[in-house]
Amino acid sequence: MLSKNELEKILDKALAAGGDFADIFMEKKVTTGIGCEDNKIERVNTGIDMGAGVRVISGETTSYAYTNDVSLDGLLEVAQIASRAAKSERSNKPVKITKKMPQFDFEIEMPPHQVSVSHKVEQVQLANQGARNIDEKIKQVSVGYGDVIQDVLIANSLGDQVEDRRIRTRLIVHAVASDQGQVQTGYESLGGTQGFEIFKCHNAEELGKAAGERACALLKAAPAPAGKMTVVMASEAGGTMVHEACGHGLEADLVQKKLSVYGDKIGQKVASSLVAVVDDATILGKFGTYRFDDEGIHGQKKTLIENGVLKGYMYDHLTAQKDHQKSTGNGRRESYREKPIPRMTNTYIAAGKDDPEKIIKDTKNGIFVKRMGGGQVNTTNGDFVFDVAEGYIIEDGEIKNLVRGATLTGNGPQALVMVDRVGSDLGFAIGTCGKDGQGAPVSDAQPTIRIQELIVGGTAQTEAKSKTTMKRL
Amino acid sequence: MTEINLQNIGEKVLKSVSSRGISLAEVFLTRSRDLSIDVSDQQVETMKLAEEIGLCLRLFHHNRLGFAYSSDFSDTALDQMVTQGIDNAQITAQDEFYTLPEPVTYYPEMDLIDPQIPQVPVSEKISLAKEIEGRARQYDPRIKITERCAYSDAFYQVVIMNTLGVYGQYQGSYCGASAFLVAEEGGDSQTGFGFQYRLKYQELNPEAIALEAAEKAVRMLGAKNISTQTMVTVLDPYIGTKFLGLMGNSLSSEAVQKSKSFFAGKINSQVASPLITIIDDGARKGEIMSAPFDGEGVPCQKNDLIVDGMLTGFLYNTYTGAKERKKSTGNGIRGSYKGMPEVGTTNLYIAGGDTEKEELLKQANQGIYITDVMGMHTANPISGDFSLGASGLLIEKGELTKPVRGIAIAGNVFDLFSNIDGVGSDLTFFVGKGSPTLKIAKMTVSGC
Repeated sequence: MLSKNELEKILDKALAAGGDFADIFMEKKVTTGIGCEDNKIERVNTGIDMGAGVRVISGETTSYAYTNDVSLDGLLEVAQIASRAAKSERSNKPVKITKKMPQFDFEIEMPPHQVSVSHKVEQVQLANQGARNIDEKIKQVSVGYGDVIQDVLIANSLGDQVEDRRIRTRLIVHAVASDQGQVQTGYESLGGTQGFEIFKCHNAEELGKAAGERACALLKAAPAPAGKMTVVMASEAGGTMVHEACGHGLEADLVQKKLSVYGDKIGQKVASSLVAVVDDATILGKFGTYRFDDEGIHGQKKTLIENGVLKGYMYDHLTAQKDHQKSTGNGRRESYREKPIPRMTNTYIAAGKDDPEKIIKDTKNGIFVKRMGGGQVNTTNGDFVFDVAEGYIIEDGEIKNLVRGATLTGNGPQALVMVDRVGSDLGFAIGTCGKDGQGAPVSDAQPTIRIQELIVGGTAQTEAKSKTTMKRL
Repeated sequence: MTEINLQNIGEKVLKSVSSRGISLAEVFLTRSRDLSIDVSDQQVETMKLAEEIGLCLRLFHHNRLGFAYSSDFSDTALDQMVTQGIDNAQITAQDEFYTLPEPVTYYPEMDLIDPQIPQVPVSEKISLAKEIEGRARQYDPRIKITERCAYSDAFYQVVIMNTLGVYGQYQGSYCGASAFLVAEEGGDSQTGFGFQYRLKYQELNPEAIALEAAEKAVRMLGAKNISTQTMVTVLDPYIGTKFLGLMGNSLSSEAVQKSKSFFAGKINSQVASPLITIIDDGARKGEIMSAPFDGEGVPCQKNDLIVDGMLTGFLYNTYTGAKERKKSTGNGIRGSYKGMPEVGTTNLYIAGGDTEKEELLKQANQGIYITDVMGMHTANPISGDFSLGASGLLIEKGELTKPVRGIAIAGNVFDLFSNIDGVGSDLTFFVGKGSPTLKIAKMTVSGC
């Protein structure tokens, strides 16, 4: 992309009017997307997105400018625009950069550009067939395949220069089943910081099958109950709960702005002693894994909560400076269009000692969440909600009927304190996390855990009480 | 940025496609300049300036679709895009309904540019964001934290051209301001927000934004949970637009054609309360989502979708229209140059009724007024099932009283629209969607 001298020139220009820190983030993203719906390959979409952003930090103020004119002249102009917000005196030291090497590395076996589109289409068709073969009640299946090769170049006025290639691949299946006026959907996804080798250990057809089966099963499900209940979440449910209930609240920008219930609580007990929460960018192949974050800091493993005690927050450069800490390598940006902010990578509640099956056996009444969908949190007060994609009633320690249309709402710190069982298993799920309008690939995980009570937002219980019925599809 | 003539580039790409024996192709090009300013504690926290340019190519070869995009305008990149587009058309399925729109005689006249926006100095725009914060803090000493008070504006240019002779271009601008605040009292923190997006700089009202956000935050202080029950529910216009968005998917002809719409086969039948009229109007005056034409170069227009609760039509792009031998309704919407023209909405809104909000609350007597929901993106747009975290205010004897939080509301969006028994006169737009206050006869509210 750019030579060392050119980068230094741009950074010097960015700091010409003063400022404490400047960086440039340049990327070239080559993407392929394949969409299948109505039993046919509807679209194959390929594109190149290239651009660069220059940031100048001056005191508390960040100035950011970007362009997709990545010629040296174009970038110098952007650097000049970004420099306008600077107020402080210029230190006369010119920027000198040196290249930084990763602390851990991994191989991409089958990079997407070395795999023919027809092979990619094959996997899409397998997933489509997998879902359609389940039952004639499957009325629609959409499969989306996507891969991205992102080449980044990051350099900053502290002298760091990083070049990296990030490769991610994913496949999602959405099945729609309908019967006698009822419509239900099933969703499955897989993805990783991996190339096409992801299909060596995951079977696209099985993925489709799982989505189709869930959609069909939900046709027979009863409406979820409403009210407070004990909740057992399976490890395979994914980590939406940990992501929403505490992950976001441990991001340093929200903490510093006093927008987190976990602010000023380092060293304090914020969860049950059984709970440990970890954010780890170094797990091989996971969707949120990287060698370097988007500020050129090494990806790291951080224990955020240990034995229920809050250990630390997730930092990017700016928030770390404010707290006189080192960045934890959590500075991420969706693209060159955005400035970096603290984000999660692969976040999980660590496995405990309990036998997962015994946790269910020991639960008299409650709800068993086998799969979570999306979620959301209000970090200021800790209230969160997540969707139950597959949930069952637990009666006398046994998993009974499937329920539909449930969400669970709770409060982060309260829910984590009420964790009374932690299983010895651990299961991951992938997602795209949205924050400040920026999407970032993440994964999250948890073992089988039990929470003494959460509010289930269903419709069934009040129906019985008020003797009214709600018409359903 | 070096000045690039979008029209010249577009012609070059189309020529290159034609020279490779493909007669049906379209190029869509955009250029934009954006400014955003975030203020916190009367300090500029972030200022962002951006210039962006991009294009995409859509072509049909032997009734197969090829698509590719690029933000790199170099000859090599454009050449690669054309090759990719043609290659991609080897793999996709054949479809006899693939076509592009024909040229039209005229596009609707639109006043989308405010020359004042680029002229106002940045320092004044910063002051506007600071003013919002200042006024919010003055409103109540319990407003203690500013998540963000912001000003933003954008200037953009869109060019579309296809080999059938469609050529259209327009420029537009808009500006917006917002406040996201936190009120604190006795260890309790509650958030409130207010925002406006307008075509004209003069129409932004910093005071109104500040007051709205501050009032929302303060009135939620001390919010408590309530017991699980079925209640009369009144939705604030912002929440109304969220439910409208959930239902909007079913008004797309694509969803109908793919068996993903609840409204399939229900034209001319009653699908909502007789009080409900839903319109999509891409040519509506004064709205920032308005444009002379859609992402395919088809003129934008007003489309009645549900009239007095009766389903009267769906939204079409050229492709879904062709499938039913219908014309596009001007709803081929592109999210950016990176995407194809999908069936989408422009300014989708529920027409206002004739009851004032206060009167609706009086009619509700005992119930709940919902001001915020969480997890709307997890609701199911196909089945219409939703279960959301919610907060709001109790309605007691027709008046808003105590704040409530941590509850969940669940149901089905199609039932919800059938159960509406009151529509306010206060139609309010939030970017591309608008709703008045809505009163629902009953809804399941889950609490402790």
